[in-house]
Amino acid sequence: MKKFLTVVKREYIQRVRARMFIVSTVLLPIIMSLFGIVPAIILNIDAGGPLRVAVIDETGKMYAPLEAAFEEEKSDEQATQQASPEPGMSNPTGRNVPRVASPEFALTEVKTEGRSAEDVRAELEQKLRTKQLDGYLYLPGDFITTGRAEFFNNNPGDMWSRGILHSRLTRAVRDQRLTEAKVDVETRKDLFKGIELDTVKIGDGGQERDSGGSFLLVFGVGFIMYLAILMYGQVILGAVIEEKETRIAEILFSSVKPFTLMMGKLVGVSLVALTQLCIWGVAFATFALYGVSMLMSRGIPAKIPNIPFSHYIYFGLFFLLGYFIYATIYALVGSMVTTAQEGGQLAMPIILILVVSFYLFLPVSRSPDSAFSFWVSMLPFSAPIAMLVRIVTQTPPFWQIALSLLIGFSTVLLIMWFASRVYRVGMLMYGKRASLPEAWRWVRQA
Amino acid sequence: MAANQITVKVDRVCKSFGDFAAVKELSLTVRAGRVFGLLGPNGAGKTTSIRMMVNITAPDSGSIELFGRKIDSELQNRIGYLPEERGLYRKMKVVDQLKFFAELKNVRGKLLETKIDEWLARVKLSEWKNKRAMELSKGMQQKIQFLTAVLHDPELLILDEPFSGLDPINTELLKEIVLDLKRSGKTIIFSTHQMEVAEKICDDICLINRAEKVLEGSLRELKSSFGRNSVAVRCEGGDGVLDDPSLVSKVVRHVDEVQALLAPGANAQTLLHRLVESGATIGKFEMVEPSLNDIFITKVTEHQ
Repeated sequence: MKKFLTVVKREYIQRVRARMFIVSTVLLPIIMSLFGIVPAIILNIDAGGPLRVAVIDETGKMYAPLEAAFEEEKSDEQATQQASPEPGMSNPTGRNVPRVASPEFALTEVKTEGRSAEDVRAELEQKLRTKQLDGYLYLPGDFITTGRAEFFNNNPGDMWSRGILHSRLTRAVRDQRLTEAKVDVETRKDLFKGIELDTVKIGDGGQERDSGGSFLLVFGVGFIMYLAILMYGQVILGAVIEEKETRIAEILFSSVKPFTLMMGKLVGVSLVALTQLCIWGVAFATFALYGVSMLMSRGIPAKIPNIPFSHYIYFGLFFLLGYFIYATIYALVGSMVTTAQEGGQLAMPIILILVVSFYLFLPVSRSPDSAFSFWVSMLPFSAPIAMLVRIVTQTPPFWQIALSLLIGFSTVLLIMWFASRVYRVGMLMYGKRASLPEAWRWVRQA
Repeated sequence: MAANQITVKVDRVCKSFGDFAAVKELSLTVRAGRVFGLLGPNGAGKTTSIRMMVNITAPDSGSIELFGRKIDSELQNRIGYLPEERGLYRKMKVVDQLKFFAELKNVRGKLLETKIDEWLARVKLSEWKNKRAMELSKGMQQKIQFLTAVLHDPELLILDEPFSGLDPINTELLKEIVLDLKRSGKTIIFSTHQMEVAEKICDDICLINRAEKVLEGSLRELKSSFGRNSVAVRCEGGDGVLDDPSLVSKVVRHVDEVQALLAPGANAQTLLHRLVESGATIGKFEMVEPSLNDIFITKVTEHQ
């Protein structure tokens, strides 16, 4: 045990002291926030001026509502940007318009003035060619009934503008149809009023309100797990290979059992990961609390999700389980290879398994009591997410939770034991990467 | 420690990797307080044998006893092992590394600090105490590696090619330390294929070749049992005599003298007589003990 702690201590202190750790602790949040901000900025870059679109309106009624639709959208956007991002409010009409700065349109109506449609179109096409115009919209006389229009432009690859034009036109024609059906503005507003759907969970203690906070937390736990594995899996791999590359392994094995060494390394690196996550967690929490207090001071109520205390413990336990299950696989890969590069390639499938088990979220949340959900919440690789989903939806009997944890943590130990045997035999035959059957033979041989 | 006490007892140990037999039926005893040379050509099975003695691998059959007990991980704390494959943590400070390796032998605390200082002074690396390993030269690193094996004051020290790559001055320094440790009652197993070094510090030797033991015993006894069948000659003329295969089986010419191995059945007196007869001027004619190197080569060739 003392030797185990010695290994843990070395692993921890050496890594936390390293410049890399300090730099990544500070830089990662910055990079992450940049990832959030930069795409939004790029999408908002308005490369050209507004899109110059001419409209040939043969119905004679559509141009005004279309222009109105563009105006309305603009004011809607400004409204949603000011409102707090309360779910259910942001998208009252349910249109799936992307929430980025929409390309601006400059509409002009082209009157036929007695000329034939062909003449007008020929003239507009000429303008398109000479770049005086970016596109023109042709609304035939029967457009209101058929809903069939044509958009000619130089740049058919611009899906974005096309989508926006489509949705505005839809809105305009709908408004026009309603006007023709003699529906007044007030009735219209009432008809399109959005609804609010509250999810209410029936717990053992009667009704509890639960606005998806637990779900969000499960998602958060899954995400942090994913992040931790992604960042620290490679570190564990490197830590396991370190003694092979520096050729210290044999000295160590004359003092400490391979299993102790491997567990020490795993725990040491994991504590480093935990330290980093805690630093970020505290920073984030301070930030969030500041944000909440800001909202409160402005009179906007901020709800802290109503989650039973036991759930927090389960979140912690299953997070650790999920992290360790995947981390041990990295350790196992590390025990089989001789260089970190080799290990990186072999580790790819691990991420795949992680992603797949993440998506089990959906079927399990739909029917948390099914046999399928039971089995995936027992399987060590998918248990962390699946069991958490079950816990927040329909909490399974305690024995199932305990069993899932037991299976999971036993698997961790088993993999580590397996890895330490592969490691020892692999170390005694330097410079050779183990194929799976070889690794199996080594395990029996050691 | 009594001289007849046995530190390591290896009894009919076998170890193979797949179809390859690395060690076959090896038995040997290492007496306490002596320097035991485990000798053999590359790939003879020295390292595998040592790994079994320090409990890194288990033998397929046979048994190994240390200090009269069957080997286990507890006993590992009483061994200092310097493997042939060795290294240091590149980014760790010298003092931290030494502490780490000692703690893995369950030695810790204040005393350890003073011990580290003492040992660093002894190998003349005191001013490197707080440097990272990567800043040290290869020779310095080797001395630090040597310290990791002796720092916890082990009763049994196992050194696998400890001097490879060291310059003569440092080799001498470490050799002195090894002999000092022997004088203070430690048992030392010394594995090498450099016979000149082994000859100077070993009390007992065991020669293994192709996974099998070829020879074991005290170096002195082995040498005398080999007999004085070698003559060092310095003379002018008389070349024809030395080339006579009925008298001399092998001639090794050094810079200023010739070493002649007598043919079976020949005797030194006859050789001297024939040389005088041939009119050679004799500067030196001396019966010499075979060197360990000669024994090694003879035995290994015989065995093959």
